[in-house]
Amino acid sequence: MTPWLFLLPGLLVTLLFTVYPFVNTAVLSFTDAKVLGGGAFTGLANFSKMLDDPLFWVALRNSALYVVGVVPFLVILPLLLALLVQRHIFGMAFFRAAFFTPVVASIVVISLIWTWLLDSRGLVNNVLSVLHVISSPIPFLTDQTLLLISAMLVTIWRGLGYYMIVYLAALANVPRELHEAAEVDGAGAVRRFFSVTVPIIRPTMVLVGALSAVAAFRVFSEVYLLSGTSGGPAGQDTTLVMLIRQVGTGLSGNAGYASALSLVLFALTLGLLLVTLRLNRSDS
Amino acid sequence: MQQVNRVRRMAAVVLAAGLMASGCGLSGGGQAPAAGPADGQVTGTISFQTWNLRAKYSDYFNGVIKKFQVEHPGTTITWLDQPADGYADKLSADASANALPDVVNLSPDLAFPLYQRKLLVDLDQAVPDAVKEYLPGAWQGFVMPGQRDSYSFPWYLNTGPVFYNKKLFADNGLDPAKPPRTYTELRDQALVLAAKSQGAVAMFGQTPGIEDFGLYGVELMNPQGTKFTFNSAKGVELTELFKQMYDVKALLPEALTATYTGSGKKFMAQQVALSSGSAYDLKNFKTDAPGLYANIGITTPMTNTGKANMYLQGVSVSANSKNKATALAFARYVTNAENQLAFAKIVTIFPSTTGTLNDPYFTTDDGTDDARVRVAAAKQLATAVNYTPVSFTDQMKSILRNELANVMLGKSTAQQALDSAVAQCNKLLAA
Repeated sequence: MTPWLFLLPGLLVTLLFTVYPFVNTAVLSFTDAKVLGGGAFTGLANFSKMLDDPLFWVALRNSALYVVGVVPFLVILPLLLALLVQRHIFGMAFFRAAFFTPVVASIVVISLIWTWLLDSRGLVNNVLSVLHVISSPIPFLTDQTLLLISAMLVTIWRGLGYYMIVYLAALANVPRELHEAAEVDGAGAVRRFFSVTVPIIRPTMVLVGALSAVAAFRVFSEVYLLSGTSGGPAGQDTTLVMLIRQVGTGLSGNAGYASALSLVLFALTLGLLLVTLRLNRSDS
Repeated sequence: MQQVNRVRRMAAVVLAAGLMASGCGLSGGGQAPAAGPADGQVTGTISFQTWNLRAKYSDYFNGVIKKFQVEHPGTTITWLDQPADGYADKLSADASANALPDVVNLSPDLAFPLYQRKLLVDLDQAVPDAVKEYLPGAWQGFVMPGQRDSYSFPWYLNTGPVFYNKKLFADNGLDPAKPPRTYTELRDQALVLAAKSQGAVAMFGQTPGIEDFGLYGVELMNPQGTKFTFNSAKGVELTELFKQMYDVKALLPEALTATYTGSGKKFMAQQVALSSGSAYDLKNFKTDAPGLYANIGITTPMTNTGKANMYLQGVSVSANSKNKATALAFARYVTNAENQLAFAKIVTIFPSTTGTLNDPYFTTDDGTDDARVRVAAAKQLATAVNYTPVSFTDQMKSILRNELANVMLGKSTAQQALDSAVAQCNKLLAA
């Protein structure tokens, strides 16, 4: 009994705030429940509705594109950055802190700054225009494709510092002797990086890949804020989480359909995670 | 094996418990209360919830509450205030838990879903004599589709003049003394401005909202309030006016994604020449955009119906209130002529009570811009209408904006887009 009593507080919190909401979401996804309550069992109606909902496919496409566009950069760029700042040179602490600043800054503030930069009459367009590089503004925030790319840029820029810290920890575990031995054998810096560093930090790279893929698939704030909450022109930059918010909130929100969408998002995210881990295992 | 079975049994119990618990979520909210006059003594404790008003107006509300409590011994008002963001989510959480405050500040679109769930008191039934105390347009603003009764005491109102930038007008071939008065004039002047500025200055910052369709004279819904009808020839006509403006860059590119506040910021940054607004905005221009304020032009809103648009707030009473008589008395007290006039004098809003707009404060133009806007707005409100149907949800607003963006981008015709928007909105309305 005593072990259960020790477990009880944590178990209660988990049951109440994780298991119950999850099970409730799963149940609601098979109903036509509204945010204000009620709802009857409708079987798979929400899921078949999803297949006919053009916005679901748009959202799925955008979330998937986000993973493809963001993950490779978030796996490679922070590693390069970590290699740069791991050296013990005077003043390097400043650069480490500078690269980490976007991580601790509020996403709302970050998005506002980028909106001012990328607006059709923002800083970037004005500078390019003054330099006669462009004759009309680049529609960073009003073109469906450019808006998504702009949001990806913000995500990458913001994630660099965080994953850099993860890589710094991994790099600290690479034995110096291995580098020295390789150097004695005549390996240059590039060869040492690929033959010594990469194999040792590969699990960290997979972890970063998995974490950034899950985060990218669930992207919300960057696209939501850069698109002025609208999901881009004609809503064509809406992501899955934005769609869930759109249909599931407000007094008229459709809790049943939003739950079905959430369940699909959960399954896809879990699948993504399992595929990444599987790839890692087969690599090993 | 036995251990596996035990684990399975435990998992099944947890799942079943979860399913039973979650099943509760399916039946929450929407308790049907009794309708009819609310008799009873004005006594006891009630809660009163406002929407983002405590930070600036706590003295006023504390004064109103104190006075009510003195006039009605034995009553206690607990004042709650919620931040601007997430108000609808807070209301839905309260409503789902059957814990809606006794007296609650609502806009018509927030009142509608609560009315649908029978969570608000029918005021025409409960206090039949109240209707005559309020402006007809304001009372009508909370009459639900297909109904004749209202579910909220009208509270403060607002209506907009149209602001325009005289300098941008003059610099780009337009007469600052003749701003557009109709949407057709807006289109004509926008084409001139765009041609003259070669697209450097835009006339307007957003595609039309549902209220613009109403102002243009489009029938938005059928008389029963069961179907949207804004895909009529007139609706198509308005959409095409905006498409013409977009094609010559007289609409900002951001118009495809802009919300009202986003568009207003572009006007303050002097990137667009004209913007709808309210008397409240004038103060912002003075403090936040003095360069614009020096060149500000103020004119009447564009309308083909002769009636301006009105934004309104109301005070409703929860149908599940345990002290309904007290709640009704307090809601009526907060929105009575005396209290509304006092509130209107400390914040740039307008009272919804009959005759209050005849107060010298709203009829005397002392020559200042503030007074000019106030007097004009007050005059406008006598006949103004809340064009936005109460059943037009935020999701429907997004649908309309997205479909109009498709028209601007040339991906669909105005008729196709409006047909699609109406079909989607009708589907949501019926759901």
